[in-house]
Amino acid sequence: MVKFTAEELRRIMDLKHNIRNMSVIAHVDHGKSTLTDSLVAAAGIIAQEVAGDVRMTDTRQDEAERGITIKSTGISLFYEMTEESLKNYKGERSGNEYLINLIDSPGHVDFSSEVTAALRITDGALVVVDCVEGVCVQTETVLRQALGERIRPVLTVNKMDRCFLELQVEGEEAYQTFQRVIENANVIMATYEDTLLGDVQVYPEKGTVAFSAGLHGWAFTLTNFAKMYAAKFGVDESKMMERLWGENYFDPATKKWTNKNTGSPTCKRGFVQFCYEPIKQIISTCMNDQKDKLWAMLQKLGVTMKSEEKELIGKALMKRVMQTWLPASDALLEMMIFHLPSPAKAQKYRVENLYEGPLDDIYANAIRNCDPEGPLMLYVSKMIPASDKGRFFAFGRVFSGKVATGMKVRIMGPNYVPGQKKDLYVKSVQRTVIWMGKKQESVEDVPCGNTVAMVGLDQFITKNATLTNEKEVDAHPIRAMKFSVSPVVRVAVQCKVASDLPKLVEGLKRLAKSDPMVVCTIEESGEHIVAGAGELHLEICLKDLQEDFMGGAEIVVSDPVVSFRETVLEKSCRTVMSKSPNKHNRLYMEARPMEEGLAEAIDEGRIGPRDDPKARSKILSEEFGWDKDLAKKIWCFGPETTGPNMVVDMCKGVQYLNEIKDSVVAGFQWASKEGAVAEENMRGICFEVCDVVLHADAIHRGGGQVIPTARRVIYAAQLTAKPRLLEPVYLVEIQAPEQALGGIYGVLNQKRGHVFEELQRPGTPLYNIKAYLPVIESFGFSSTLRAATSGQAFPQSVFDHWDIMSSDPLEPGSQAGQLVSDIRKRKGLKEQMTPLSEYEDKL
Amino acid sequence: MDFESNYEISRTVDYLRAGNFTRVALQFPDELLKDSPRVAKVLRSELGAGVRLFVMADAAYGSCCVDEIGASHVDAECVVHYGHACMSPTSTLPAMFVFGKASIDIKDCADQMGHCLSSTNKPILVLYGLEYSHALMHLKTVVAESTVLSHSNSGPMLNYADVIGSVINPSQDCTTEKVQIRSLNDSITNAGFTSGGDEKKILKFGNGRRMENGTCFELGGLTWRIPSDHKIEDYLLFWIGPENSAFTNVVLTFNNCEIIRYDADERRLLEDFSGQRRILKRRYYLVEKAKDANIVGILVGTLGCAGYLSITQQMKELIKGAGKKSYTLVMGRPNSAKLANFPECDVFVYVSCAQTALLDSKEFLAPIITPFEAALAFGRGRQWTGEYVLNFHDLMVSCGPEAVSGIKEARFSFIKGGYMEDIQPEENGEHEERSLALAETTEKALNLQSQHPNTIMFKGAARSGSEFFAARSYQGLNRQYENLAPQSYAIGRSGRASGYADEKMQANESPGAAV
Repeated sequence: MVKFTAEELRRIMDLKHNIRNMSVIAHVDHGKSTLTDSLVAAAGIIAQEVAGDVRMTDTRQDEAERGITIKSTGISLFYEMTEESLKNYKGERSGNEYLINLIDSPGHVDFSSEVTAALRITDGALVVVDCVEGVCVQTETVLRQALGERIRPVLTVNKMDRCFLELQVEGEEAYQTFQRVIENANVIMATYEDTLLGDVQVYPEKGTVAFSAGLHGWAFTLTNFAKMYAAKFGVDESKMMERLWGENYFDPATKKWTNKNTGSPTCKRGFVQFCYEPIKQIISTCMNDQKDKLWAMLQKLGVTMKSEEKELIGKALMKRVMQTWLPASDALLEMMIFHLPSPAKAQKYRVENLYEGPLDDIYANAIRNCDPEGPLMLYVSKMIPASDKGRFFAFGRVFSGKVATGMKVRIMGPNYVPGQKKDLYVKSVQRTVIWMGKKQESVEDVPCGNTVAMVGLDQFITKNATLTNEKEVDAHPIRAMKFSVSPVVRVAVQCKVASDLPKLVEGLKRLAKSDPMVVCTIEESGEHIVAGAGELHLEICLKDLQEDFMGGAEIVVSDPVVSFRETVLEKSCRTVMSKSPNKHNRLYMEARPMEEGLAEAIDEGRIGPRDDPKARSKILSEEFGWDKDLAKKIWCFGPETTGPNMVVDMCKGVQYLNEIKDSVVAGFQWASKEGAVAEENMRGICFEVCDVVLHADAIHRGGGQVIPTARRVIYAAQLTAKPRLLEPVYLVEIQAPEQALGGIYGVLNQKRGHVFEELQRPGTPLYNIKAYLPVIESFGFSSTLRAATSGQAFPQSVFDHWDIMSSDPLEPGSQAGQLVSDIRKRKGLKEQMTPLSEYEDKL
Repeated sequence: MDFESNYEISRTVDYLRAGNFTRVALQFPDELLKDSPRVAKVLRSELGAGVRLFVMADAAYGSCCVDEIGASHVDAECVVHYGHACMSPTSTLPAMFVFGKASIDIKDCADQMGHCLSSTNKPILVLYGLEYSHALMHLKTVVAESTVLSHSNSGPMLNYADVIGSVINPSQDCTTEKVQIRSLNDSITNAGFTSGGDEKKILKFGNGRRMENGTCFELGGLTWRIPSDHKIEDYLLFWIGPENSAFTNVVLTFNNCEIIRYDADERRLLEDFSGQRRILKRRYYLVEKAKDANIVGILVGTLGCAGYLSITQQMKELIKGAGKKSYTLVMGRPNSAKLANFPECDVFVYVSCAQTALLDSKEFLAPIITPFEAALAFGRGRQWTGEYVLNFHDLMVSCGPEAVSGIKEARFSFIKGGYMEDIQPEENGEHEERSLALAETTEKALNLQSQHPNTIMFKGAARSGSEFFAARSYQGLNRQYENLAPQSYAIGRSGRASGYADEKMQANESPGAAV
């Protein structure tokens, strides 16, 4: 039975200090969704008995089948806290009622874009870590992302039940494990020193770490136990908390606390003595069915069980007892309410990250103050498919003002430039909706600090947008999200029946909307391309496309296509020259590879077309050893004017050179997008204009003469500088027990991968392996790996860098040469590369 | 084949005599130019001195079209067109076509066709290059005999296309373009085409006209009729002729049909046309790309085809309606150097006869699309469903007045992978609030400068040619007057641009270095 109504929820939405927006983040399979269930159960949306089994937030069928979360799911929960539990809360609050807008996110690396979208609209994060597996790759990635967004984390050490039931570890050993997990997390957090956010590390003794067993629905923080024992020892709760963690030992024989182990057999660490051992005892009595002993213990703890529950035995009994004694929701909620910021608090420091415009205008101030009377500022972070196929809810967070049903809003898309009409729409919100479990409830309006879903805007928002009031023409948009993964795996899709093309087009449009990361484009050859972060991601996207967005019309999917880059190995062996069509103009050029790290610097935007030339020349001369004057002679970057290739003017005393600059740049933009080898983008090539001969009459050196010539001479320069292909490479992290290592190495070798790090996880039999794996070899990698290690190894791959392929693509039959001819065939180009003589002219 | 019959001298003479023409232009394609003196000589001797003959060659556009402009330079009264023709209607001059007579082994062709007939259960429609039209009658009889022999029952149906005629008369076909359009429209409505308002329906049948007794098709000088209960997709198309632009036209227009080509020179059947299908996909991409364009150049690629002015006008209106800027350019046959003189154009629409319409090359800075593709790209809410029209006459019929429906959805660009906003031709918002409009326009004017010129120049963000030119980094002459004292003069270069005298000398001295 749902314990709350939409009206109640709506009322609390106005109390901005009583709201917590939080996301649950973790590595895959660390128990996010299961733990979320406990919270949902406490709000009464699902029964306490089934909590942990339902995985309420995994709403899709394939999520349930695969047992992984694919889409992040938001849920609004309402809790009434007792006066007593809140008495220690020092922050602002109004009443005891709290609204938690919770977003469960996927843990698989392929879906990290969903995490990014979730983090943007929340203020706090519950980081779930498996107590046995510890901090994993994805934990680290999402944690970094969270901190980058200025999201305050709290930690829960999950799957405690494994310690007691599966591994049966002793108290001290368990403590060491937990301590290490927390330390590892803190190491990552410590690197994000942020004065505004303050100390983001987590400490059990401060109550920012919980210990939970999501599957069984129980959890505790040291606060729970401190409260229990404070009275008994007659000390302050906070003092007691400190004693329950770290180097504090208690000897029941002497009844004394010490700072180190006295060596007496009865002397134990505070945590072990007062937290771990009692739980262990209760669990073992439950499991052994020693009921009499159990009831006595429970009475001592002040836990009363219902009579019908007393009939349970074994695991069921244990689950029930633990849920009653240490309900997960209480511990976690308390932790969230006490230690995660309210929107009012969080937006004060997040405004800098969020708002693109000047930080002192009314919009920035409204966000900073979380002002419900201010102008509307709302960020739509993702689109959620609605029940009527093909339509979407725009899901986002109100940062200031209110959004109401029927309100006219200004939609600023990702390409919007203030003051222009580009990517800007004014539309009205048909309905504002909040999520309550599996169903949605319409509400009149939603004030700032809350998450909201809107109906009627889906045809104007692709993935994300900033919304504001119709009249607020001065508002700048909220900064676009930065994703940690990029869509490197691409497939071509086409419909089986040619006349289904409009369906496919419509379906692709919807697919592009439904996922924050997927990119739907079209190739030069006319093929529709769907690009995703990984194999699994693509698989899910294509399934959605066919089943949900195209009404089951059949599609044909090509083998995965990997895009390559073209680069050069050395400086051109000679200065090449091309003549214009009228033979009156000549361009001389050379190509050379860029200095190491320069292409990456351009990718990151440290060096770009809009830099101040002085600052640019400083970086170039100091970091990359460029001549200071030369750094000022960069004509352009490309492709798309920002790419990692450039043209540098090395000419001396050439007349009319400025006149043809634009034409050369145009030719370069064109050529760098489609390199001479396989028409892939160029990367890391610096083209030097060595000399130019121009006709004296302007009419004979116009764009028509120079643009095609510039393109040809660039190709000639590329071909004379030992062209090479760059292939994308994944960073793969694999976690597996020792006996699986052999299989892992075997598979990696066979797939051209190489391991560069192998570490044993302290305290566990597990190994952490990091390896580089070419993306082109990665298809089917996970399944091969699973087969080779009997399912013990689970890889996570993220695009890491571009790697040069050593073989010569110009040599037919070489590995790169084969690749080139495949690419050219796929693109419908002539299989033979255009020879250098077509591009280079002789005097 | 003998000369007189190949060039149809007697028929030409009859035609010229019947029309009483005294000034006649003979238009030859490049490959037949070598025969032109002989043709002219024979014709002159036949016609006598009263008729003046002019030989025309090297047409400004495709040699398949009648070069009316060239002919009017000599005040010709009619044109005799030799060689491959696209049979586009002319606008001012009567024209007679001599297709030539390509050799064909009729026996072999009939055998191959018979083989085809036995292997398929579809009816066969025979289409051919016009140069093979002379052999058609013979072929028909040979095939009829052989099928009678091998199949006692009638078996699959054979349907032959006919040549429209070898004479085009502007006074009959179209005195003015408008009359022609009307007559075409009339013919459609008269033919019981009920859903006249439904644009999509018309498009679908843009390739064929419904008649009482079947659907009538016209393509590249051929005409045929299929019964009204048949669809063209049900036919197997049998093409006799080489793989030229006329054939590409057929493949693209009937891209849903199964097509077999008989190559008369190599005497074999060819069935794989993945190349042509690939073209179709590529065209689809170009349409998508055109949707993102802001500035469109209309290239007038014909000055002869009837209706080119009205289609150009129609394109202008279409582009304006889509909120884009158009420029009309007349430049003869486009090449990369000519097109690159207009780097501000994001896409070009090429108005020309059906067989020269497809221009696609990696060398072009901006893609070139056909008017049909432009109609798809710039007409809102239109979607490509597979049909393809190369001939703009069909297009003029099919896209009548655009039904401007309210914009329901933003346009999704597959090039950029997201929603793109198109400028609306009329902006309603500004009428409502005049004060705000003023503020917005001033702001826009101020903002324009802050936009980086690079995005305008090379990313197609320019809205008009002037905006593009304003963004150029070179704005005028260099002023390098650092030292005002006159410099001493130096002797300039001499020689030709492909290599000046001093460069030649260098090259001779060190041949290795200059290579």
